[in-house]
Amino acid sequence: MSDTTFDYYARRKHDHDHDDHAPVAGQDSGPASEYEIMSRAMQELLEAKGVVTADEIRRRMEIFEEDFPYRGSRVIARAWTDSAFKARLLADGKAACAEMGVELEATRLIAVENTPDVHNVIVCTLCSCYPRELLGMPPTWYKSDNYRARVVREPRSVLKEFGTVLPDHVTLRVHDSNADMRYVVVPMRPRETKGWSEDRLAEILTRDTLVGVTVPRVPA
Amino acid sequence: MTSGRRARARRKLPSTYTPAPIHRFKVGDRVMIKRAFPPGHRRTPHYIRGKVGVIERICGAFPNPEELAYGFDGDPAKVLYRVRFQQKHVWPDYRGPALDVIEMEIFEHWLLPATGRALAAKLTQTG
Amino acid sequence: MSDTPVNKGPHDLGGAAAGPIDTTDHGMKFWEKQANALRNTLSRKEIVRVDELRRAAEDLGDQYYKLAYFERTTMALRTLLLEKGFITEAELKAKMAEVRARSDAPGAATGGKGSGR
Repeated sequence: MSDTTFDYYARRKHDHDHDDHAPVAGQDSGPASEYEIMSRAMQELLEAKGVVTADEIRRRMEIFEEDFPYRGSRVIARAWTDSAFKARLLADGKAACAEMGVELEATRLIAVENTPDVHNVIVCTLCSCYPRELLGMPPTWYKSDNYRARVVREPRSVLKEFGTVLPDHVTLRVHDSNADMRYVVVPMRPRETKGWSEDRLAEILTRDTLVGVTVPRVPA
Repeated sequence: MTSGRRARARRKLPSTYTPAPIHRFKVGDRVMIKRAFPPGHRRTPHYIRGKVGVIERICGAFPNPEELAYGFDGDPAKVLYRVRFQQKHVWPDYRGPALDVIEMEIFEHWLLPATGRALAAKLTQTG
Repeated sequence: MSDTPVNKGPHDLGGAAAGPIDTTDHGMKFWEKQANALRNTLSRKEIVRVDELRRAAEDLGDQYYKLAYFERTTMALRTLLLEKGFITEAELKAKMAEVRARSDAPGAATGGKGSGR
């Protein structure tokens, strides 16, 4: 029997503060690699041939940067505050997002819900399928060979590397998004967030909580 | 369609799912993934081939990615299912709880009914 | 039949032995964001399909393991653009030389700000 007052997600003592809002700062430093050159060359050739325009590319870059990454938190925050919406999201993710004006384009979304007894985590072992129109671009660890190889086979060890410890009575569902569906996790809402606005809730629904490697943290 | 889906269709909201009026398997059916190893682009991971699971949901019918990958149109569409497997069955060395599962999408042509005879044959195989 | 996997592509990684995960998100460099936008634009216009891009990456064989994510996807796009006749090898070689000359020029920027791999 599950205990809803227990903090299921014990954190390892020395876990680093896994801030997934901010990719590690770096620079495009040094000479361009062969692949960067190749990619730019292909783009310029296609632009010269009228296959794509520089404007189209620029607009997509903007959408990926400024729009997509912020949608997932809003959708899940709505699900946390509106149980009827949550039910519709779990029944048909694409339709529920469209209801909110979040057009997922090609993505067919399945939302999976964490409960006191069940935790969900997402992967694409074959490449790096990810609900990009809902969450933006996947983090580098999601695309890494080691994550793809290990999270299907030893998911609890992998979650520990992210600082998430699941008790044995919590069943773990791993979802390998290997075909046409894409997935988002609906985390459990911490009790301490009672009365919070959707905006405030969205802030703790970080990208990593929506992939399932961490759970929402209420700042002390 | 469920009444929910009918309502959404009326409002012309896009759906995650597509219709699959003809489907070989239903939710709850036990299925075995074919032990087949064809060359070329497949969306059935090696680690699940030959394994037995349960149909979790029907996703709809979609163009066959094995054909799309080579420039063909993928018609006729193939029914896509979500299948759930016990981790302890998929990985003999799995150390987590018995209830842990792994779920993925499998196209109909990769599925066989996991009847008693098919299961017995599977269980007598080594490895 | 032997126990060695038959027709298993380099991408079919589920269950493979692997080491610890670098759990830091290193984000994307500018050129990677641009490459992503290019690929996304091409697939939305159905000029290349995502399935074709996946297949071309899978066909990289052992080279797959030596390449980082955006290097794989760049090679895959190269394969498809040549295959479909959008570009020729000679054109690509010439354009790459031109782009490299520009990027090596003193004071040239490689693009906008971005984060490490």
